[in-house]
Amino acid sequence: MIQSILTRRAEDATRSGMNKMLSLLMAASVAACGGCVRVQAPDKPIEINLNVNIRQEVIVTLKKDAEDLVTSNPDLFPK
Amino acid sequence: MTRKMKIISGIVGLALAGAAGLAIAQTATTPLSTALADGSVGEQADGYMGFRSTPSATVRSEVDAINIKRRAAYTQLAQQRGVTIKEVAAAVGCETLAKRVAVGRAYQLPDSVWRVRKAGEEIALPAYCVT
Repeated sequence: MIQSILTRRAEDATRSGMNKMLSLLMAASVAACGGCVRVQAPDKPIEINLNVNIRQEVIVTLKKDAEDLVTSNPDLFPK
Repeated sequence: MTRKMKIISGIVGLALAGAAGLAIAQTATTPLSTALADGSVGEQADGYMGFRSTPSATVRSEVDAINIKRRAAYTQLAQQRGVTIKEVAAAVGCETLAKRVAVGRAYQLPDSVWRVRKAGEEIALPAYCVT
């Protein structure tokens, strides 16, 4: 009685072990593929950063123009 | 020599008269200058003027007209420089916030909150502004 239970358990253990190994392998291969694809994925955050940089640079180049605009158009910029 | 002196003094006199006229024009109170002084109208970081509180019809139309003219000027400059109107407006916003907001006057930062500049207080300009 005891032995048969043990054998059954052993069998079960082996099967489940094999299944686990298989699923692990599959998961690993899926993860590897996922890793390859993910490199291309995050486009949007990079774009936003670029926009901010360009904007600041433009503000720098426009500083003199902005000063002139404000000082030479007192009707548009009342004190 | 004396004639030259006369001409020079004439020019100086004209310039002084012009300056005096300008000074009078600037100190004359209009509905808009009153609204600016009491903080119900102020400069915004986006390069336009705005209302901190509901304005009179006169002040509203005056401010609207100024903002339309500003937008026209921004559009022209943006085309000349190959940048967006918003960028020109933001650059002007930096300028007006830095130089045109006297103590006691209202201003609005990009967070859309109206503040009144207190004595001895420096306005916290947006990060993209050049100091």
